[in-house]
Amino acid sequence: MQMHNKKRIELIIEKMAHKRACRVLEAAGMTGYTVLPAMAGYGGGNRWNRETDISASRDMVVIVSIGDEDKIAEAMLQISDILGDHIGVVSLSSVEVLRPDRF
Amino acid sequence: MDVALSTLLSPIILFFALGMGAALLRSQMSVPEAFAKGLAIYLMMAIGLKGGVEMSKNPLTLDVILMLLAGVVLSFALPLIAYIFLRVTSKLSQTDAAATAAHYGSISIVTFVAATEAVKLSGLDSSGHMVAVAALMETPAIITALILAHRGQKREKPVAGSEQGELVREVALNASIVVLVGALIIGWIAGEEGTAQVSPFFVDLFQGVLCLFLLDIGLSAGRGLRQGWRQLSVATVGFGIYMPLVSAILASGIGFALGASAGDVALLITLAASASYIAVPAAMRLALPKANPSVYLTLSLGVTFPFNVTIGIPIYIFLATLVTG
Repeated sequence: MQMHNKKRIELIIEKMAHKRACRVLEAAGMTGYTVLPAMAGYGGGNRWNRETDISASRDMVVIVSIGDEDKIAEAMLQISDILGDHIGVVSLSSVEVLRPDRF
Repeated sequence: MDVALSTLLSPIILFFALGMGAALLRSQMSVPEAFAKGLAIYLMMAIGLKGGVEMSKNPLTLDVILMLLAGVVLSFALPLIAYIFLRVTSKLSQTDAAATAAHYGSISIVTFVAATEAVKLSGLDSSGHMVAVAALMETPAIITALILAHRGQKREKPVAGSEQGELVREVALNASIVVLVGALIIGWIAGEEGTAQVSPFFVDLFQGVLCLFLLDIGLSAGRGLRQGWRQLSVATVGFGIYMPLVSAILASGIGFALGASAGDVALLITLAASASYIAVPAAMRLALPKANPSVYLTLSLGVTFPFNVTIGIPIYIFLATLVTG
């Protein structure tokens, strides 16, 4: 079975800001992404938990998207701007996919 | 004194204390998130409907319009006072102080409901249009806070991915405002007769659901306080207690000037003294993402809300009876 090299971007970001990040991914030409809820965490000296905030304004989500390196590089410029203000972590990794035409 | 004791020993406050105590003791108890959201929607619908039905019984007079305007003016003005206090007494940055100030100009609908029950217990009457005052006071504070946050700073370009109107949508169309105002209008249109068939659900069950919701808020407040107290200085904790009293004094003066009933003045004071922990935090994450949510959320939900529902409300009712003679 032949696999194909792609890049995977994973973005942990505030739920309130995730639509901004999704718009950036779409504008960069990424063909898809998945948004997952995060339960709790620790960072910047603060703990956060979905159960501590009834406004849900501190909820975090994880956005996962796979695509070509050039599209992800384009998205990264804008995503670094989002993360300049919002809380979040971004990481890139190399992955292999089965159907390259999907990305 | 009787009112203070009755308020403190009412089931809704005791359930709040139970939730907060359980969270502070690190109990694993929790109210499922989706269920808690459902409870919040139910409460907004019930409050809105009740207010709308009461409004349908009386015509819209100049006094009512003046009370609505008073609420808007208070919501615009209170963040300015809160901001000055925070900048003078605490080490909060301009952005953190402005974001925190927004919470103190907006309102807490649960504090309002607790005050409505306490006003009833005191034998005072309040009007349905106070629900409309509450709805109108939700958002103006956000505008003042944004002006304060950006004062003296060069205009920054919008964050990447921002969409025109996203903040307005979040502020004006957040779930609590849509449900509250929508139910108010429905109650106003349908009137007492029209809403009679749904009253077993929205009236008879209200107190029990409120207890459940207060239990959840107690859990949130306790956990928030446990995790966020390190972010608060003595000056900011002090602000969370004296600011509601400052707002209360200002609102009682306005209530006196309007010549409103003691019940309505007590509710206006409570609205002014309460701090938002649902609508404003969400707006602040979009509009002022640099502001530290641990400061403003812990302060409004962990300090001011417990103060208001236990000690504050009896003081506000006393103030209202004092200024209305």
